[in-house]
Amino acid sequence: MNRSLAKSFGFTLPWSLTFLFIWLFPLGYAFVMGLTDFNLLRPDETNWVGFENYRALFSDEDFIKSLKNTFIFVIGTIPITTVIALALALFVNRTFKGRALFRSACFLPSITSMVVIALIFTNLYQRGGYIAGLCSLIGLTPPLHGFLFDRATALYSIMAMDVWMSVGYYMLIFLAGLKSIPDELYEAADVNGAGFFRKLFSITLPLLKPVALFILVINTIKSFQVFVEIFVMTQGKFDTSTMVYFIYEIGLTTTLQSGYASAAAYILFGIITLFSLVQFALLRRRQPLW
Amino acid sequence: MAAKEYEMLIFYESKLVDMRRRSSRFLAVICSFLILTSGTIAASTTIEFWQFWTDSKIKPVMQNIVTDFEKQNPEIKVNLTDLTWSNGHEKIVIAFASKNAPDIIELGSDWLAQFADAGQLSDLTEETQDYKNDFHGWGMATYDSKVYGWPWILGTRVMFFNRDLLNKAGYDSSFIPIKLTEFLKAAYKVDSLGSDINGWGSNTAEKHRLYKKFLPFLWSYGGQLFSDDGRFSLVASDYMVNALKFYKEIHDSCGFVSNQRGIEDRFLEGKIGFILSGDWLLKRIELGKLKINFSTTLMPGLRLPGKSFLGGEILVIPKSSTVKEAALKFIRFLTSADNQLKFCKANLSATPSNKSARKDEYFESNEHLQVFSRQILHSRHSPVDPNWVVIESIIENVIEEVLFGDSELIAEPLLKAKYKIEALNKK
Amino acid sequence: MVKSILKLSKYVLLSLVLFIMIFPLAWMFRVSLMKMGSSISIENLLASGITFEAYAQLFAGTNTLMYFFNSAFVGITVTIGNILFCFMVAYALARYKNLTNKLLFASVVIVLMIPAHILIVPLYLFTLKVGIYDTYWSLILPWMVQPIGIFLVKQYIENIPPSMEEAARIDGAGEFRILFQVVMPMCKPALAVLAIQVFFTNWNSFLFPYILTNSDSLKTLPVGLAHLQGFQAIDWQQLMAGSAVAVLPVLILFLIMQKQIVSGITAGAIKQ
Repeated sequence: MNRSLAKSFGFTLPWSLTFLFIWLFPLGYAFVMGLTDFNLLRPDETNWVGFENYRALFSDEDFIKSLKNTFIFVIGTIPITTVIALALALFVNRTFKGRALFRSACFLPSITSMVVIALIFTNLYQRGGYIAGLCSLIGLTPPLHGFLFDRATALYSIMAMDVWMSVGYYMLIFLAGLKSIPDELYEAADVNGAGFFRKLFSITLPLLKPVALFILVINTIKSFQVFVEIFVMTQGKFDTSTMVYFIYEIGLTTTLQSGYASAAAYILFGIITLFSLVQFALLRRRQPLW
Repeated sequence: MAAKEYEMLIFYESKLVDMRRRSSRFLAVICSFLILTSGTIAASTTIEFWQFWTDSKIKPVMQNIVTDFEKQNPEIKVNLTDLTWSNGHEKIVIAFASKNAPDIIELGSDWLAQFADAGQLSDLTEETQDYKNDFHGWGMATYDSKVYGWPWILGTRVMFFNRDLLNKAGYDSSFIPIKLTEFLKAAYKVDSLGSDINGWGSNTAEKHRLYKKFLPFLWSYGGQLFSDDGRFSLVASDYMVNALKFYKEIHDSCGFVSNQRGIEDRFLEGKIGFILSGDWLLKRIELGKLKINFSTTLMPGLRLPGKSFLGGEILVIPKSSTVKEAALKFIRFLTSADNQLKFCKANLSATPSNKSARKDEYFESNEHLQVFSRQILHSRHSPVDPNWVVIESIIENVIEEVLFGDSELIAEPLLKAKYKIEALNKK
Repeated sequence: MVKSILKLSKYVLLSLVLFIMIFPLAWMFRVSLMKMGSSISIENLLASGITFEAYAQLFAGTNTLMYFFNSAFVGITVTIGNILFCFMVAYALARYKNLTNKLLFASVVIVLMIPAHILIVPLYLFTLKVGIYDTYWSLILPWMVQPIGIFLVKQYIENIPPSMEEAARIDGAGEFRILFQVVMPMCKPALAVLAIQVFFTNWNSFLFPYILTNSDSLKTLPVGLAHLQGFQAIDWQQLMAGSAVAVLPVLILFLIMQKQIVSGITAGAIKQ
């Protein structure tokens, strides 16, 4: 018994160490640091400030702005991504010519580097670029200086790109969910003469609920951390700064107030945890959501 | 006018330098003699030098200068480490944070105050005392009335304009805009030449760039960001309001808005009338053998030419350095007239900090370099303030708001920015 | 008649979506093959010829090849590490049911839910303190055992009956032999899925490589590309050539191993 305990301990050691040093310790360190005025340039002059950082953050206009933008990003992209992904999955779930190609094409953007995607769209979104041309073609007036150099469009343009990039990924997950629905259910519905929409609303959607919630959870965790696209495309200008961008900027580049930045990171952590918990609670609920 | 006096001043100063150089050489001979006779050979010291000149054209020149120095000072070795502008600041911060700073760092002038205030830089006030008149740009290296760095290669921005477009707009080839109003009028005329032609290349809200483009307008209007004693923020002054109003007008009605690169590309395509740019654009035109009929002139002002932005490279010695004397020796060598000249010629830089280097005929060899040489005398640097990174972003944000925001208000956002800056200084 | 119109409109919609999904990446490849400095207008896109000038310039004038090497080196190392370590840990968690392991598995699930980006500042300071900042270690060590890998492999092992291992144990095989010669071969499908997932994530990751390194010689491709973007002298053709270099390996891997990739993506979801 003792030997097996030793073995188990040995085998799990890589994870124990990683968990301790890469996750638990930095998390604890960040929390403690968030209670001080630690500054990278003055590590020797650190003072204990308690929850002052948290109080200051909520009166910091830049932080509030980044909070607002992050919420716009999350609330704006997730429903659209989910609905489009579901529609694509329903579409691809039937057999038709070129199905494999279609599925791969939708999926490809999601395994491409975000930096690459952001670079491509920086060009496509620019003044006189392709997307501006498309807008004029269908009679819309594109922003004068390009989509990313305009407060009214910059964040939404990045969000649109994000939806484009990730729908394929969630489509695949929905597809897997669709595959796991037994065919007998549909056959029984056919016998009863149910139409497409009837089947959709009484069989497909209710049974997809767990998959949909899973998608919501991972997409929420991912979307709250939006950073790379902001970093590459706008550097937080034109009202696009997000929370992770704020943390990065304050903590590591401009004022180097790492303590302050850590407090902001903990607020983000709290928000994401809260959202995940709510979603888990929904997941646990037995009765159908829709 | 002032230029004449300035030339006289330079003349005397260069004489002084010569004398000083001669005497220092004499001292060096005596010293080395003493060292040799006393039988002790100075232990070899190594200087770690972090610098930003990495492109294939200039790196060998840098290397040459180092080799020359090591030949003259066999007991000192210089190690070069390359930084890039994209990660240099971060790397320097880390070096200080982890107490691994090198012996000499080339700093962007905007960064000096932050590091000096954190107590990370050596005070060079005494060591630089004798050189005050030989160099330009001490202001950028002085924080809290102590000198923390040695100005090296400076940089300023001048007005570039497309001659062909101006000719098409009805200006003859001797036209030079001196007043802001002339400039505005010409920009409007060029702008009306066609839908794909713009009068003015206007920077988008680009970090660390936008303010450098706007401040010349503020200064040319006679305004400044802080009162002379640095105690009061003048961000909401009438000067500021008027300058921003002017800047917004030209941005809104004639501007091709893009990042610096986009603006310069467009200018080189011949589609923009005026842009404010630095000597790197001259370098780009020359190296790329680009065919563009352009002129340069001083930043326009209210009546006379205005003030442009002065930035530059400052050499600092971190407090942690144990070889301060050797580091200073190398800095003096690097910033000497000969070496700065060598450097500027190789890099097509227009503005050395060494005043006697600037007197070289090279800087008079073409009209553009002449303009830069004049402009450097009429340029100012951003305030040396440890909070500058924050102030900078406040100012850039308010410019962004005025240029790109929905409301037409100018004074109100400026007032808000002023309060923010004042709150900052109270902390 | 109605049916054929419906069918037609379906295919029109299909092609439209297909076009939207493919266009940006196709555009990237196309631009990378254009003459440097030429305008990226639609006419030019169709009319201009194909040249590898941008690639040649990129490789000659920048360190892109080195970035590529770094990405490959780090990606492969981390992938191998995850195959080995995730497997070991997962095996122990699946086979030895004791309190510590239950807690450890809980930690795996919790970490799965932690947004890693909030760790940028402390992890940065941590690597600085232990002296691995700006070394390959900082790119590799934190990601050697990833919770998602442990999770996937553990679920898989739990579905394998332990009879084979017991037989081997009776034959007197050592624990490591059992682990790597008996159990590992049986886990191949799960490990393949894990390998692909880890490699892709690592190949594309930006924030941590960006924050935990500084030297040019340690930049991975995404970091290098973002860095190149800041250069004045780089034009779109070169930037897109660099992007294509970053996308190609992923594209090739995807074409070869589509099935594993798809099952890898969906594995996590179905388990819920």
